[in-house]
Amino acid sequence: MRGRPPEPRLLEDKPDADVLVIGAGAAGAVVSARLSESGVRLVCLEQGDWVRPATIPSGSPDWEARRQTTHHPSPNVRRLPADYPINDSASDLKPLLYNAVGGSTIHWGGHFPRLRPSDFRVRTLDGVADDWPLDYDELAPYYDRNDERVGVSGVAGDPGNPPRSPRPMPPVPLGRGGELLAAAFDRLGWHWWPPDLGINTRPDGAGRPPCNNCGPCDLGCPTGARSSADLAYWPRALRDRAVLRTHARVREITVDSRGRATGALYFDARGNLRRQRAKVVVMACNAIGTPRLLLASRSKRFPEGLANSSGLVGKNLMLHPVAMVTGLFDEPLEGYKGPFAISLVCQEFYETDGARGFVRGYQMQLCRSSGPLGTALGSPYPPRVDWGADHHRIFLEHFGHGASLAVTAEDLPDERNRVTLDPTLVDAHGIPAPAIRYRIGENTAAMIEHGIGRATDAFTEAGARRVMATGLIDSAFHVLGTARMGSDPSRSVSDRFGGSHDVRNLFIADSSLFVTCGAANPASTVQALALRTADHILRIRRTIDAPA
Amino acid sequence: MPRPRRDLLAAVLDRLLPANGELPAAGELGLAAQVEEAAQACPQVGALMDALPDGFVELAGGAKDDVLRGLEQDAPASFAELVELAYSAYYTDERVLEHIEQSTGYPARPPQPEGYQLEPFDDAVLATIRRRGPLFRTV
Repeated sequence: MRGRPPEPRLLEDKPDADVLVIGAGAAGAVVSARLSESGVRLVCLEQGDWVRPATIPSGSPDWEARRQTTHHPSPNVRRLPADYPINDSASDLKPLLYNAVGGSTIHWGGHFPRLRPSDFRVRTLDGVADDWPLDYDELAPYYDRNDERVGVSGVAGDPGNPPRSPRPMPPVPLGRGGELLAAAFDRLGWHWWPPDLGINTRPDGAGRPPCNNCGPCDLGCPTGARSSADLAYWPRALRDRAVLRTHARVREITVDSRGRATGALYFDARGNLRRQRAKVVVMACNAIGTPRLLLASRSKRFPEGLANSSGLVGKNLMLHPVAMVTGLFDEPLEGYKGPFAISLVCQEFYETDGARGFVRGYQMQLCRSSGPLGTALGSPYPPRVDWGADHHRIFLEHFGHGASLAVTAEDLPDERNRVTLDPTLVDAHGIPAPAIRYRIGENTAAMIEHGIGRATDAFTEAGARRVMATGLIDSAFHVLGTARMGSDPSRSVSDRFGGSHDVRNLFIADSSLFVTCGAANPASTVQALALRTADHILRIRRTIDAPA
Repeated sequence: MPRPRRDLLAAVLDRLLPANGELPAAGELGLAAQVEEAAQACPQVGALMDALPDGFVELAGGAKDDVLRGLEQDAPASFAELVELAYSAYYTDERVLEHIEQSTGYPARPPQPEGYQLEPFDDAVLATIRRRGPLFRTV
């Protein structure tokens, strides 16, 4: 174990909190709001800060170039003060994370699908991975409550998913690319549906306007039309007297001699080391940050890291591998208009069909297209336009004429895919950085190949002049699975409500909980689970074995 | 960057992004200074420039391209950095964006605050898919 520099003077925060939440992102915001509205004295520590609308570059002449620097999706490139390094040299995919009030929802495309019933019963149905310790029907009321709170645009009636309540707002526009692919899917007899999005298409009555179709949601949403967690939940939490401390980087969770969590040590904005005590600790640091902190919180009682008697903290990392297929059309699609990440979704190949040569399935999400620089760079939608004599001709063939299908594969949990503490790399506060090891499995590879084939078929049917399959992209938009839920403490880190098996007043509320990942974007499920965990904490709060 | 080095960079930029109708090539547009400044954070781009042969500027266009393709093959990651810097300077230049607007109708302005107009979603497009029964596995 590397040596630490001398301990700085420790400052004590007062008063003690009933609940300490670590992380103010998608899950932390939900837990903080739900508990605060019930009168819980809550403190949330967030290593990032609020993102002010004026700092979002989509109104600047250099808006596209900022994706390569200050607004690059990878923390290893961006290197803002709130970022920490990630050793991803042993990973096929590079995770994209963002630390701020609102977390990764600050750079979110807004796609808000639910998991399907089969996603909770993978072992029972397909003989691989494990079942969740809850099912879709148990989570459905939380999906509904969260949808109502977030304000979801879309349309009910999707035959690809169980029935749900009417959506508060209509779907975002399809755009010409969406129209062409929708008609193609109809002719092919494939499923498609307009997506549930956490993006307003009407004024929401709370002062947030409808989306003006500017395009680059990934840079942030200066109008507030997108329901990132800083807008959807934090105002309520603060109104209900939650205390949110930003620029607060947690170093470790503290425990007492009885193995109960007692709070956390953290560095404040000035670099002072502080202690916040609490009766209950909730971790919401995402599936890389949460295991990192648990592993870093070693003690005599927990030599392998906190909450890790199973040895599974950090293991079973899932990253939703994505392959991109781009279709170019003769007619202009003007795909730079509209929310960049999606116009429609196809889940025709979501469920297992053994005849395909793999188990589980994938989703195809029709993405729009980029501005001029993004088109030339092939970022975020590949391919890059080559330099040289033909550049301008090819650029004009691409720009405004393309749409891309993102094939999102359900990768299976594999204990070899994991988050550990790097032996040498540290963050700006000397806290060990996470190291991830992740390899694409055979089942996933077969799935990706199938998906590329079907996406190609779809564009061909839609009349694309040219279809370019750039294959697997090396970015991981979603991180999941590293503190999985389960009923058996030897095979899971947390119980069916996210409560640590080992530390009864410690809860996990983020994407670490996922037992399997489905092929659907996880934000809706993350927040539904967080809401359920918060309700559970409220039910049992008087019986939790907590320090005085 | 000394003048000869900047001239060298301008010559490279001219090959990466040649003239486009009335629009000059990237080097002639004067983008070498901007790329040079951005390249200070990318030492591998400097190394690429060092690897260019003497007399590169005087070579014929096709010969320059051959040299650059060779560099791209030998050092793909570094070359990709150079291309990224070149494209970033070019496609954020007002003159280039105005040219694109003339060619495509794409407004030469940032996306905000005006946004764009799109036809609202028409429920009628769901007629075919609505006729299908449930497509999810029940448990």
